[in-house]
Amino acid sequence: MIQVRNLTKRFAETLAVNDLTFDVQPGTVTGFLGPNGAGKTTTLRLILGLTRPDQGTATIDGASYQHLRAPMREVGVLLDAKSYHPGRRARDHLQALAEAGRIPVSRVDEVLALVGLSEVGGRRAGTFSLGMAQRLGIAAAMLGDPPVLLLDEPVNGLDPEGIVWVRTLMQALASQGRTVLVSSHLMSEMALTATRVIVVGRGHLIADSTVEGLIKKSSGSVVRLRTPQSQLVLPRLQAAGATMTTEPDGAILVTGLEAPAVGDLAFQAGAPVYELTPVEVSLEEAFMELTQGDSEFQARGLGAPA
Amino acid sequence: MIQQPTLTGTGAPPAAPLGPPPTFVDTMRSEWTKLRTLRSTAITLAVAAVLVIGLSALITWAAYGAPTHGKRVLTDPVGIIQAGWFFGLLTLMVLGVLVVTNEYSSGMVVSTFLATPKRTRVLLAKVTVFALLLLVVCEVVSFINFFLGHTVISAFPQFPDPAIGGHNVLRAVIGMGLDGALAGLMGLALGALLRNAAAAIAVGVGIIFVEPIVALLLPSSISNPLNEYWPTQAGGQLEEVNLQAHSLTAWWGTGDLVLFIFLLLLAAGYALVKRDA
Repeated sequence: MIQVRNLTKRFAETLAVNDLTFDVQPGTVTGFLGPNGAGKTTTLRLILGLTRPDQGTATIDGASYQHLRAPMREVGVLLDAKSYHPGRRARDHLQALAEAGRIPVSRVDEVLALVGLSEVGGRRAGTFSLGMAQRLGIAAAMLGDPPVLLLDEPVNGLDPEGIVWVRTLMQALASQGRTVLVSSHLMSEMALTATRVIVVGRGHLIADSTVEGLIKKSSGSVVRLRTPQSQLVLPRLQAAGATMTTEPDGAILVTGLEAPAVGDLAFQAGAPVYELTPVEVSLEEAFMELTQGDSEFQARGLGAPA
Repeated sequence: MIQQPTLTGTGAPPAAPLGPPPTFVDTMRSEWTKLRTLRSTAITLAVAAVLVIGLSALITWAAYGAPTHGKRVLTDPVGIIQAGWFFGLLTLMVLGVLVVTNEYSSGMVVSTFLATPKRTRVLLAKVTVFALLLLVVCEVVSFINFFLGHTVISAFPQFPDPAIGGHNVLRAVIGMGLDGALAGLMGLALGALLRNAAAAIAVGVGIIFVEPIVALLLPSSISNPLNEYWPTQAGGQLEEVNLQAHSLTAWWGTGDLVLFIFLLLLAAGYALVKRDA
């Protein structure tokens, strides 16, 4: 389990990480979400002791990263895909890391096979595409077969097949009981991969919940109702405290009531129901709503005054 | 080209025992692999060897073939044989700088410190491995260089030929190799302290090359004590057969250079721990 408590880091004028507190539980994939510049990478670097916090602590299974007995066998990390020397062969790079972590060098060929780089292990890492670099980074993270994994934007630069592969790998690792924390600025990716999400914006915590909970919270129970006799239903819905908007095609969006309640009211009014659909906002929309005003760089529309 | 990814081999469930923690020897082994698997290491060492041996032989040949500096040929033949080392020291210093700074410029340093979060251990392992490698290479080069120079001089029978058994000659040959290794270590220490190759090389060149030139322009009341204690000048006394005027004795001079490098490494270690990686 990863525990982050009141983590704070300021760079000159910017408060990169602002009093962050959250837990990452084993057995699930936890998404770490936020717009670019939200402080995701800084938070990960603070957890890993690469950057020193101004305040707060981060522990992994009870110890700070610097105090882990065998860090590579306790935590697997993919931070920046290109954390290698371009002139070194992929296999040699992994061997040096295995030796530093006191991991049998035989593990090198195993992780190369795991990420599908067996045939290019003898190539200099500088010749790798971004996708291959990501795979090499994941191979390095998996060297020590660690129970905790921290992956910063692991699907960056991967082709669709590679994205599916990473997604499957992360879910398989979590199902084995490992703690998996994956950062991303792509909500849609996390919707498919993660069970829990931690959302940050401008360095502070915006949400820490399950993916379902996040969607529910944002959508706040909206139901689409289609009926030929809306004049019979609308007063009853209004009386029940719901608010309604009519869509161009005649469908009514009912906010504030669950679908069964809306259905019951229509039945009591004697109005036939053609459609009754709970409307969910996508995780993407929930994310946009949550992080509105929290992204570091906001694009202006074309032609807007500078 | 890229194999189909498979999920087999993700290994045992995470309940597996942790096993023994890595030791300093593991860190050294890793640093040796890192040093050995970059082509630039072997290439730079080869360039240094060729520069030293080639230039020394050329300078010796020229000095004895046209002995305009006749006096020096008679008094300091070992110094002439070792003349090419000046450029070798520079190359070794640059190699030392790059051994550290290439980690920062490539991003490798993140992998290094994640694998070994004890940063001072990484620095110590790097220093040890690099020092041992340089010591072996530089001693071999120094002996080859001496015997080649010896062979060149023997072509001029009218001049005395320095023998390895001569007074302080063996010490000078071994000392030259040691000085080469120390030049590399000084570069490594500067690289670790400054993290930037250009900056560290500039400072290293300043220490080795610029001080002697500056000293020439200064009054001797300043330049004599400056040269006496200037680390690279003092360290160079070990490769001299005869004690020079206004200089520390061979081993005190070497101690001066070693102390300087030690202090640089101490500062580098402190900065390494204090600064964000």
